[in-house]
Amino acid sequence: MVGEIASSYSPVLLIFGFALIAMAPTLIISRMIAPKKRSNPVKFLPMECGQVPSGEGRTHFMMQYYAYILMFVVFDVMAIFLFAWGTSMLELPRTATLPILAFLGIMFAAMAYALHESRRRDIW
Amino acid sequence: MSTIAPKFRLGHFIASLTDNIFWGVVLFTLIGLPIVFIVLFLIELPEIDGKLLSPYLAVTYIADPSRTLPIIQSLIQTDFFKIVAFPGFGFAALIAGATIFIERKFLAKIQLRPGPFYCGKVEGILQLMADGLKLISKEIIIPAKADKPIFWAAPVLFVATAAAFVSLIPVAPGWVVADLDVGLIAVFAIIGFFPIITILVSWAANSKFPFIGGIRALHQMVSFEIPLILSLLGIVILTGTLNLSEIVASQAGIWWIVFLPIGAIVFFISILAELERIPFDLPEAESEIVAGWLTEFSGMMYGLVQLGSYVKLYAFAGLFVTLFLGGWHGPMVVPPFPEEIITEGITMGPISIKIPGLPLFSQEMLNGTLWFVIKTMGVIMVILLPRGVFPRIRIDLLLHVGWYKLIGLCFLNLFIALGLIYGGVLGPEGFIQ
Repeated sequence: MVGEIASSYSPVLLIFGFALIAMAPTLIISRMIAPKKRSNPVKFLPMECGQVPSGEGRTHFMMQYYAYILMFVVFDVMAIFLFAWGTSMLELPRTATLPILAFLGIMFAAMAYALHESRRRDIW
Repeated sequence: MSTIAPKFRLGHFIASLTDNIFWGVVLFTLIGLPIVFIVLFLIELPEIDGKLLSPYLAVTYIADPSRTLPIIQSLIQTDFFKIVAFPGFGFAALIAGATIFIERKFLAKIQLRPGPFYCGKVEGILQLMADGLKLISKEIIIPAKADKPIFWAAPVLFVATAAAFVSLIPVAPGWVVADLDVGLIAVFAIIGFFPIITILVSWAANSKFPFIGGIRALHQMVSFEIPLILSLLGIVILTGTLNLSEIVASQAGIWWIVFLPIGAIVFFISILAELERIPFDLPEAESEIVAGWLTEFSGMMYGLVQLGSYVKLYAFAGLFVTLFLGGWHGPMVVPPFPEEIITEGITMGPISIKIPGLPLFSQEMLNGTLWFVIKTMGVIMVILLPRGVFPRIRIDLLLHVGWYKLIGLCFLNLFIALGLIYGGVLGPEGFIQ
């Protein structure tokens, strides 16, 4: 039974593997037939619109909207939890919807508070 | 005056040909034949006309045209064909290629240009082939400080992830590569890999523009994933299943876009953001950050990322059709296969050939595929349209739209779905079944 469920996922992995096997040769062929002319160090510099690059590539970068990433970590999981309820809602009694509404209320209130806090500039 | 091959001699040419033939024969006998026998030993061969198909029988069947069709028919039903050709990778790549050409022509018409015009005699129809040849014959330049293994692997991984997404989309009744019970959750799982690939590229390139583009892509994809997920909750509540084929089957009467238009609009906007298309193309904004996270890609690597993004576009459009526009449902327009060909065979003058194994595809399957492709192309056109019409929006507005407006609309959509069930319109006791 478990094996059957697991094997129903195998086509997803197979098509993933097939695309890997089918697409890798294009890079190899390209590598074989493409010209390799005049190697010089300037050619392999990172692209900065013709200027000589200055500083590190992986610099410090102000993530002004970091709060949204943090909120995603929490609310993505909460959103997926709702699907467990959604699939079985037609079989559940009607009273079972009330706790879910309370859960939605908590989720909504938490989201509103998080969004409110994320607009504060002094904490980021 | 230059010659193409100054030291050409016919004797050397023939010698090199015979040399190649010799090595071909040697390698085939030493490696090819054992592989053929191992494959024949391991693969489960189909049963045709009550006889198990052995390799010798297969060779005789191929020689006889009237007996080839059963072999083809049994091949079509295998997982291999589904993965490689029809609902899987080949079909998706074909539609992706068509989309690239249609997009260029369509945008050109919006902007009063001719678009691709010279390749091929008719309206630049061979432009795509020319572009492919150009990309594959270009030199791949990788920045010296880049993280090379990840940088090489990322375009291939991007295409492969998009292909895995395609495998979940049902095209016609029974024609889906992976028919999962939790298909919708699997879709969310696969969508979650795209930001990872983007951020891997932007980190591995070790350059400023890809880095900024990758951070933008991360914010955008992550912010619009929650509206994307929540906007589909209404459908799951109304159908009570996560299987995409069953969701399509539940729309035989009325499509879900009729009951849940708000969910459809939110889902469509989220699709635009996930696909990085205008007006949400901040990660690839060419007037601000060169090409965003694609800046350091050159030649075929860029081509692979483009192929992957168009395969992804097809998959998202197919998902929209599957969930909101009734998938393969539509009026029967494909004529039934003529009965007399099955019973009496084809008559051409004095010769009459009876071919077993016809029809190759059932009428339902052809009709379903036709309607699915028509609807998907329609959705793809609507996804392409904003590129010719809208400007790009600012990142704070983008995140504001995602977090404040769309999530609120998702909850509204959820309550509409609950109201439809508890108001007695839909569901087991509803008056619309």
